[in-house]
Amino acid sequence: MTAIAVEGLERAFGEVLAVRGVDLEVDAGEIYGFLGPNGAGKTTTVRMLTTLLLPTGGRATVAGHDVVAEARAVRASIGVALQDAALDPLMTGRELIRLQATLQGLPGAEGRRRADDLLERVGLTEAADRRVGGYSGGMKRRLDLAAALVHEPRVLFLDEPTTGLDPVSRKTIWEEVRSLNDEGTTVFLTTQYLEEADQLADNVGIIDRGRIVAEGTPDSLKAEIGNPHIQLQLADESIDAAERICAELGRLLPPTDGRTILVEVENGAADIPRVVRALDEAGIGIESLELVRPSLDDVFVATTGHHLEGESAKPPATAETVEA
Amino acid sequence: MTSVATNLRVIQALGMRSIRQTFRRPQLMAPILVFPTLLLAVQTGGAGGAVHLHGFPPVQGFLQFMLAGAMMQSLMLAGNSGGIAFAVDIEMGFTDRLFAAPVARYTIVLGRLAGVAALGFLSTLWFLAIGLIFGAEIHSGVAGALIAILLVTATATAVGGIGAAIALRTGSASVVQGLFPLVLVVLFLSSAFFPVDLMIQPAKAIAEYNPFSFIVEGVRTPIIADVDLTDLLEALLAIAGIVVLGLVLSARALRHRLRVG
Amino acid sequence: MEATAALPQWRANLATIAALVARARNELLRVPGAAIPGVLAPTIFFLGINGVFGALTQLKGFDTGTYESFVVPVSMLQGAGFTGAAAGVNLARDIEQGWVDRLLVSPAPRWVLLAGTVLAASARALIPATFVLTIALLLGASWPGVGGLLLAYLMVAAMAAVAACWGSALALRFKSQSAAPLMQAGMMAAIFTTAAYAPLALLQPWMRTVAEANPVTRVVDAARQGFLGAVTWAETWPAILVLAGLIALLVAWSLREMRRTAA
Repeated sequence: MTAIAVEGLERAFGEVLAVRGVDLEVDAGEIYGFLGPNGAGKTTTVRMLTTLLLPTGGRATVAGHDVVAEARAVRASIGVALQDAALDPLMTGRELIRLQATLQGLPGAEGRRRADDLLERVGLTEAADRRVGGYSGGMKRRLDLAAALVHEPRVLFLDEPTTGLDPVSRKTIWEEVRSLNDEGTTVFLTTQYLEEADQLADNVGIIDRGRIVAEGTPDSLKAEIGNPHIQLQLADESIDAAERICAELGRLLPPTDGRTILVEVENGAADIPRVVRALDEAGIGIESLELVRPSLDDVFVATTGHHLEGESAKPPATAETVEA
Repeated sequence: MTSVATNLRVIQALGMRSIRQTFRRPQLMAPILVFPTLLLAVQTGGAGGAVHLHGFPPVQGFLQFMLAGAMMQSLMLAGNSGGIAFAVDIEMGFTDRLFAAPVARYTIVLGRLAGVAALGFLSTLWFLAIGLIFGAEIHSGVAGALIAILLVTATATAVGGIGAAIALRTGSASVVQGLFPLVLVVLFLSSAFFPVDLMIQPAKAIAEYNPFSFIVEGVRTPIIADVDLTDLLEALLAIAGIVVLGLVLSARALRHRLRVG
Repeated sequence: MEATAALPQWRANLATIAALVARARNELLRVPGAAIPGVLAPTIFFLGINGVFGALTQLKGFDTGTYESFVVPVSMLQGAGFTGAAAGVNLARDIEQGWVDRLLVSPAPRWVLLAGTVLAASARALIPATFVLTIALLLGASWPGVGGLLLAYLMVAAMAAVAACWGSALALRFKSQSAAPLMQAGMMAAIFTTAAYAPLALLQPWMRTVAEANPVTRVVDAARQGFLGAVTWAETWPAILVLAGLIALLVAWSLREMRRTAA
């Protein structure tokens, strides 16, 4: 069954077309990762799917309801945690979730019970009666997530839920998202973090400049790009000899500098001993060696020609560095 | 020790920044002109019959009488607005950049006041124009207009100095903004809106000694009558008093700011 | 996995309105001094206008009792206008900070979301009104009688609702707190272009024309009744009609702007 169906969705702001005909389908019970750099159209797309913005073209249904014609039914079926956790600093965490329950039409007693359960679930029971203004960033995001769940929505929209959080808080949110999904909630997750999409999503859609440029499971997308490569930093200047040897063991990739060799291999880590042995027999010293697997950023570069913002400055998430 | 020429250049540069800031945000400028104009209109239209009261000074009309009060209200809002802008600079850390530079401290405050002076100048022109458009004559002609411009601009700068002192002392824009009701209190307890002799006690007693009453009279007299040197001198002395107060408060607040960071 | 046992719609609507009013109350109860500006401005104006223009009662034709009695209803309504406009500023802040998205993404009807803001402002306006009234009575204003008092409070609450709708419409239109001066100035203009400073006959001709055309003049006259004499239905019903009409118009505009936030 389809939880979200989008066909040719468009959104123009004056002359600017922020979303230029997005097509996607999300099955019920799936986690769909919507990946793209700042300004790609992620948030605009989410705002259309959550009825906060009217599309200027195309159509979309969420939980079986049209986002324009049946907007109220959509709102009753979805939970939303937006990019800027929209919390009132003067309210306590408990008051906020109870208010959300009221907004969703839950009876008072039911709303209070759900608030208590959710606060416990996200680990905020102790802080529940403190004002939100005193919460840390991670606590605010957990509270926002809890508020989005108060009416047990069929579809949950999370717009960059871990942006700005420390690694520990991020991991907590990831665990909660997985747990929700295990219970059957469909999750539509926008993120600019490759690792987040990689770790959580069943399917990933990559958006750039208002269009979906690639879609599939993380593994299938990466497999389309190619095999892993070995990155070798040589101990001396024998680059030509090393390149000749490596060319026989795999496919040479364009070098990044005068002492680094990049060679694509078919069998991943299993090919490392072969390469090391061949270079050692030739008397060529290796200073360091990394096995670099294709990342979603490589997928992004291959489909768009540029890196996800900020990702190019970070070390690859799955590189395994071996010091010689 | 930096030279006088350098300090003047710094004042000019900061002054230009202050003026540009002021005029690039029309939504901040609007209240300084719009509210006093609105009040001028409703008070002139609503209380204009006051000119028939026994003891009311001879005027062409209530509008002619009220112009000085409107200018006073506008300049005080401008001074408050300058203080808010300075406090925002402090909150943003911009003043730290200035304090870390090899410039005399007073140049930082004087540069900020340039924007306030520009607003004071503008508001005088605005209300003189409003008056002329709606039929109020400036009795002393060009001299009267020039006196109004001089006194209002000087007072705006003086009030701006007090606003700057409060900003330096508190470092908080919302605190400076919260002082806005004081502006109203000072105005109502002066001769800005009515002749002192016809006010009701105790407002009358306070207005008689309120330095802003002297400034209002200094601006008003050449508009409704001939230039009066006594009124002018009293206005200048009152402005000087406010300037001195502003300087003392600013100097102390500056020392406090540099101490606490 | 839908939530079980949802309330009937009308009960859900009432519960939502009550919850939003409770949230609005938080600012008063949890922010020290939050009530002060709303009380201070009309009080300063009352004392100022009274002290400055009080001699107007000496004019021929001003035979309506003390100036305090004449002006206090205007100051009470000014407080209502200020409180309602402040509700608009708060809504603009909520829009800027994303809070309103939380409300808009819920299934609550749009008018219910607006009703919370408006009702909270109406209730809150009674605070400055009471403060100003107390000061005025201490300074010698006539006691308006129970009927006059209730009528004045009704006018205050309704005027605050008008101001809150005005402020909300502007907040939704401009989505920014920089619209605050427009909210305040609009209310100030509405209330002071009436027989605020002097009776209609003593206003300047142009102001008399404006005041006669200004529907809020009926509201000022109605609120003033008890302070200057007896309350009559003839002076009261035009004010009720004006307030109902203004509220209907401004609610329609606000809801239109709320729908347009998605456009």
